[in-house]
Amino acid sequence: MWPFDRRARETERAASSELFDEAFLRRLESLAVVARRTVDGKTRAERRSKKTGAGIELADTREYTPGDDFRAIDWSLFARSERLHTRLFEEEEDLSVYVALDVSASMTLGAPPKLDHGKRLAAALAYVSLAALDRVSITTFSDRVVARLPATRGKARIFRVLDFLRTTESGGATDLGAAMRAFVAQNKRRGVVLVISDLYDPKSFETGIDALRHARFEPRVLHVVDRRDAEPELFGDVVLVDRETGEQREVTVTEAVLRRYREAHARHGKRIAAFAGEKQVPLVTIDTRESWDEVVLGLLRRGGIVG
Amino acid sequence: MSWELAGWSAEAAGALLAGVGACVTLLYFLALRRRPIEVPFVSLWREALTDERSSRLFARLKRFFSWLLALLFVALVVGALADPRASGHAGRERLVVIAVDVSASMGATDVRGGRMAAAQEEARGVVRGLGATDRAILLAMGAEARPSSAATHDHTELFAAIDRLAPHDVVADLEAAARLAADVTADAAGRELVVISDGVVQHEAEARALLETEGLPARHVRIGQGGDDLAVTALSVRRYPLDPSRNEVLLEVTSASETDATIEIELLGDGETVDVIPLEVPAGGRVRRFFQDLTGVDRALEARLTRTDGTHDALAADDHFFARVPARRRVRVVVVSEDDIYLEAALLLDEYLDVREVAPAAFPPSEPYDVAILDRFVPAAPVDADVIWIDPVPPEGASGPLEITGTIERPFFDRLRREDPLLRHAALSDVNVARALAVRPQPDDVVVASDTRGPLLVRGTRDGHAFVALTFDVRESDLPLRPAFPLLLLDAIESFAPSDAAYRGSVVTGAPALVDLPVTATTATLRGPDGGVPLPIEDGAATVRFERAGFHTIATDAGDVIVAANLPGGSELDLTPHTLELGAAETSTTTIASEAARLPWEWLTVVALALLFVEWITFHRRWTV
Repeated sequence: MWPFDRRARETERAASSELFDEAFLRRLESLAVVARRTVDGKTRAERRSKKTGAGIELADTREYTPGDDFRAIDWSLFARSERLHTRLFEEEEDLSVYVALDVSASMTLGAPPKLDHGKRLAAALAYVSLAALDRVSITTFSDRVVARLPATRGKARIFRVLDFLRTTESGGATDLGAAMRAFVAQNKRRGVVLVISDLYDPKSFETGIDALRHARFEPRVLHVVDRRDAEPELFGDVVLVDRETGEQREVTVTEAVLRRYREAHARHGKRIAAFAGEKQVPLVTIDTRESWDEVVLGLLRRGGIVG
Repeated sequence: MSWELAGWSAEAAGALLAGVGACVTLLYFLALRRRPIEVPFVSLWREALTDERSSRLFARLKRFFSWLLALLFVALVVGALADPRASGHAGRERLVVIAVDVSASMGATDVRGGRMAAAQEEARGVVRGLGATDRAILLAMGAEARPSSAATHDHTELFAAIDRLAPHDVVADLEAAARLAADVTADAAGRELVVISDGVVQHEAEARALLETEGLPARHVRIGQGGDDLAVTALSVRRYPLDPSRNEVLLEVTSASETDATIEIELLGDGETVDVIPLEVPAGGRVRRFFQDLTGVDRALEARLTRTDGTHDALAADDHFFARVPARRRVRVVVVSEDDIYLEAALLLDEYLDVREVAPAAFPPSEPYDVAILDRFVPAAPVDADVIWIDPVPPEGASGPLEITGTIERPFFDRLRREDPLLRHAALSDVNVARALAVRPQPDDVVVASDTRGPLLVRGTRDGHAFVALTFDVRESDLPLRPAFPLLLLDAIESFAPSDAAYRGSVVTGAPALVDLPVTATTATLRGPDGGVPLPIEDGAATVRFERAGFHTIATDAGDVIVAANLPGGSELDLTPHTLELGAAETSTTTIASEAARLPWEWLTVVALALLFVEWITFHRRWTV
């Protein structure tokens, strides 16, 4: 291993241990206050579900069938139509917010590492959701579901979230399709899935997003990018080693090669955007140079994380 | 053509090449190891490397080319260290003698920057044109030829020597330069003499004969265009014998101009202007002018020539002329005599003498004195001064300056040492003398005049003091009645003076000059801007060759002597440059001009540096990265 890489990894480890320090928690709290002010009266976690049930808001009526609750018969409508109808109420249920964080090896690259940025984002989003009384579940994945924090509620659970994120493993290749299929199998309650990933999936990231869509989850993609991924500072004869697969490739990096790489990277980004546009999947591209709290606030201003 | 190595041996060079080449190859293989770089998604790179196959091939070629370049660089450096030369190269080395005229005429300003600067530039051109193996030696060709550098390949040393050249107030001696050139190139396989001169030289024919005899090829690089010149060609000054405070001056001005000129002559006595006169000098003519009763000149006289129209002629060196005037100082003379009015009358002629009469019983006097004239008196104790003895008969039991062996009746001045300063202007051959002492001089004494039977006039040294002795009583001769008597006395007193014993006028530069020194001087040093140059003394005189016109000081332990030196009158007046005929031996002028070739090691070094430059360019242009 080259000493530069060793030094970089030591830096990464040090950064990880200080991931959720006191300053982070203070900023998180202030972010929650701002978030409440921003979304007050709009999405107060008590989100109506499409299910009808025992709520108090009238959703619809239907003809009475034996076995319906007598208390739900709409007598006013009977008076006008002389037919029995049963009132249907929207069932009030708390929203499930899933944060799916890519912890594959490619996420550990970058300055700062994309994974650190993703962890902070995940923590911030979870906190904002917990503060809105949503059910929050955290899942980490690579080519499989690596770890899962069961759904939990309440702001006080944020420390569990932080501990989970702090101790979660990283590494492995990316297979969004396999990981999301496993995710769908593990989570029966539908909800919003915030996928935080660099989307460097050799097998096609679209499969994973589609798996969520097909299972009636509502995926939101937070595409984490590092500037050096798009503009690598390389020149000369090098061996490119894929961080996830270990695949090696001897390359003589020239201006022409760099130009073609930048074009390929741009095509990759356009492909993601095109897919999201086509499938109407909300997509947010997040540069690691941006502050995580600014990113979250931006999301809230654009209409909320989950709404 | 075969080659030989003048630097490192073939074995050493081969070992070095092998060692460094192996290191370069090792470094090359190390360089082949590519730096591993981790990337998040190599698939994107795969898309960027569509022409990877050709790139890889090109990269390999570049690397191989880079390795070859490094090996080539090492080979060139090692080759330079080995210093290869064609076999027998040493035998073809030439020695080129560059003789640059440094005579006064080279100070002329008829060409831009002056003739000397033009000659220096020509000399530099000759040096630049030397072949790779040629050596050169620089000669300054003045009154004598003098090496200004060693025989060397080193252009820097030669250029420095050329820069130091400067004209002197002398006439160039071409024969001396040719002789020295022949001597220094005697053992050289190839040789050549390049004379850079205006052609105003001495002994051209002798030089040509010498060059032909020696078979030394020579060529002349002519300098100058010619120009008007006016010169002071003579300046002579003398004191009036009966009034040494006044002087008579002869001045001569010569023109080499094609037009009449109005000039001004300024005379400076002891550094102060004493007279200024205008003169009209016709074209190509000569004007002489006498100055009478000139006062204010006690030691040195200088004449300066300037044009009244404010212009300057082409040569400034001959616009000055210097003359030495014998300095006079008061001499304290004690006369011990018994009413010799002839003696008193003779001494009265020179107002610079402080004469005191002392009775024999009162001798020596308590007051200091310089010269004692002892007339028929020999004191018992040695005299602590220079003495003129007249008829020195010692009292009974005492000894005089000369051993007396008898008497000579009616002696005549049969033998005279006419070149002796004592006899200057003095005619003694027909002096009648009644009788004289027969004396036996000591071996170091000089008999200035004598009868066949014995000396009549003797000079020498006793007890560290000079003496002059007349061996007869002047009252028993007709000498006091003749002009020779006071002249003889005054010359004798003059000869005792510590300095300026005689009138010298001036000497010419470039030629050896015999300078009389004080009689008692034992050491002499010529003072100059760079310190003193010791001069040997022979027969009371020193031989000096002056190269600068002007007043020169010779310091002796008996006082300073000032000498005026001038260019030989009119020697450099004609500034028309001449082409020197230097013989029929074939010169290699064209060869010198074209053989600017460098030694192979220099070319190897240049190519190695060029390689480095190319490598630097290609690296920074990212062509070979």
